[in-house]
Amino acid sequence: MTEAATGAERTPGGRLPGWLRPRDHELTGSGRTRLVETTLLVLAGLLLAIATINDVVRQTHVNQRLIADERTWRAYTGHDYHNLSIDQQLLGESSRREVICGNTSPGAPMERTQLCLEIWGPTVDGRREVHGGWYLRAKIEDDVRADRYGCFGPAPQGMCPG
Amino acid sequence: MSVAVEGELGFARTRSAHWAPALATLFALLLVAATAEIVIDGSLGHSALIPKSPVIAGWLQGIGERLGYRVFLIAILVFSAAYAGLLALLRSSAGAVISKRWAIVLVGALHVIVFAGPILLSTDVFSYIAYARMGVEHGINPYLHGPIAIVNDPVFQYVGSDWRHVATAYGPLYTLISYPLAPLGLVGAIWGMKLEALLASAGTLALTWRCARERELNPITALLVVGANPLYVIYGLGGAHNDLIMLLLMMAAVSLTFAGRDASAAAAVVAGALVKATVGVLLPFMVLARRSLAPVLGAVAALALGLLVGYAVFGIHGIDIIAALNRDAAFVSTDSFANEIAHLFGKPGVFPVDHDLLKAALVLIVLHLLWRTWRGYDWVAASGWTLLAISVTSTWLLAWYILWPLPLAVVVRDRRLLAATLFVQALFIIHQTAPLFAPVQ
Repeated sequence: MTEAATGAERTPGGRLPGWLRPRDHELTGSGRTRLVETTLLVLAGLLLAIATINDVVRQTHVNQRLIADERTWRAYTGHDYHNLSIDQQLLGESSRREVICGNTSPGAPMERTQLCLEIWGPTVDGRREVHGGWYLRAKIEDDVRADRYGCFGPAPQGMCPG
Repeated sequence: MSVAVEGELGFARTRSAHWAPALATLFALLLVAATAEIVIDGSLGHSALIPKSPVIAGWLQGIGERLGYRVFLIAILVFSAAYAGLLALLRSSAGAVISKRWAIVLVGALHVIVFAGPILLSTDVFSYIAYARMGVEHGINPYLHGPIAIVNDPVFQYVGSDWRHVATAYGPLYTLISYPLAPLGLVGAIWGMKLEALLASAGTLALTWRCARERELNPITALLVVGANPLYVIYGLGGAHNDLIMLLLMMAAVSLTFAGRDASAAAAVVAGALVKATVGVLLPFMVLARRSLAPVLGAVAALALGLLVGYAVFGIHGIDIIAALNRDAAFVSTDSFANEIAHLFGKPGVFPVDHDLLKAALVLIVLHLLWRTWRGYDWVAASGWTLLAISVTSTWLLAWYILWPLPLAVVVRDRRLLAATLFVQALFIIHQTAPLFAPVQ
């Protein structure tokens, strides 16, 4: 079985020696190559499929955790706001510890002073435990140490300036 | 084969042929409905799936509701299922009921619906416009500065936050193509970009049709596989991505080769690479397969002209495509397979050593494909495999990158390429579905 181009295309190279001329058909022995290629393709496909499914499951668990974080922020602050930002990297991406920030009064995202909470631990009744937090001035997009104030609770030691 | 078995098969064929028009119509309606749902709901904006944008599809507002992840994912899954059903129908003998006119009307309808709606799923088009406005309206070289240099320009607020400091990574030909749109104002430029994407897509599909016919493959199947593909329609066309212009030049190159015009074909590949460098991978396979001086001369002439113009307009940075590629290759997206495999093995993400391993794997794949092309394997298929390998091994994978091999896959006889491309696309879509199981508000 050949996978070479069909004869529909005009082939140049008529003056070249035989071994250099463009080929109408693939050289013999390609059947075994094809078998090896197909086997490798199936194995690679299997790896990609397993990795994808694993990642969907992982992401679903992360989302469930983030839902609990949002519920925790709303219950802690008493504000039923939905525009909350969650930082998974500040406390370590694989730590399952998150910092979640939201406005302290009604307004567009980050338009008001923000309250940030450090949250981790198991989910109990759809919520997780708050271990401390800090405030951020309005319109601060990047939560950096210099912009934090009013740190509270045991966890954020060293997270605020001064 | 016994008479009884033949009779049963004949009956089954008749029955499937009887149902085929109804099934084809059902699949077409589902494709149109899913597309319309995304576009109408997307026109309201205020969604994580729709980039912040000036209102360009106001007449669609008031019909739908704000596009949420759940509705979007259900729509994209329905689209994908209908697309799979359509392909299954085309593979069966009942697929003969799908006529040329029917296929063109369906693909045309999907294109018109997406064209009429808002920009979907990506802020890239605002980066394109920002780079154009930097050059034309502000006299700033987009190869030296990111959009942050025009912070007071109306387009700046719409540029993705990750790209505000980043100079353009696109080729000088694309930047020049985008320049005439800059004076049209923001809304005019958005429509200009959408029109460019629409025309590029129409050209790509027409050339795909022609190439399939040249190769004695079914052009209707080729048209529908590409033109009704969920990633092509919703992500590629919906985001007005310049990848469609690259695909147009890629298919022009393939078509020109089929006509025996090797020099022009190589020039078309170089033009494509001056839009987006990736398509340049076709060149070694083309040269190796054709084994004549014509493609080499065509490529050298086009490259010399392109670099000369690029240098004259943008300076040395405008033609330093390798630096831009190296910079982008270091990015990591959550949808990349490299990232997923890292998670599978318990790592938090991709490390620098993984970049090196992936590059080494890609080099081995390309060397193998070059060897096979030398032995007579179809260079178009080898190019398609290379584009697929680039997207799979890239740590920065976006939906429209998996479109690159698709038009090539439908004009080659090695059906494994199409199967592998569609498989990778299916995995990409499956990877998007996590919010269906745990929707974060």
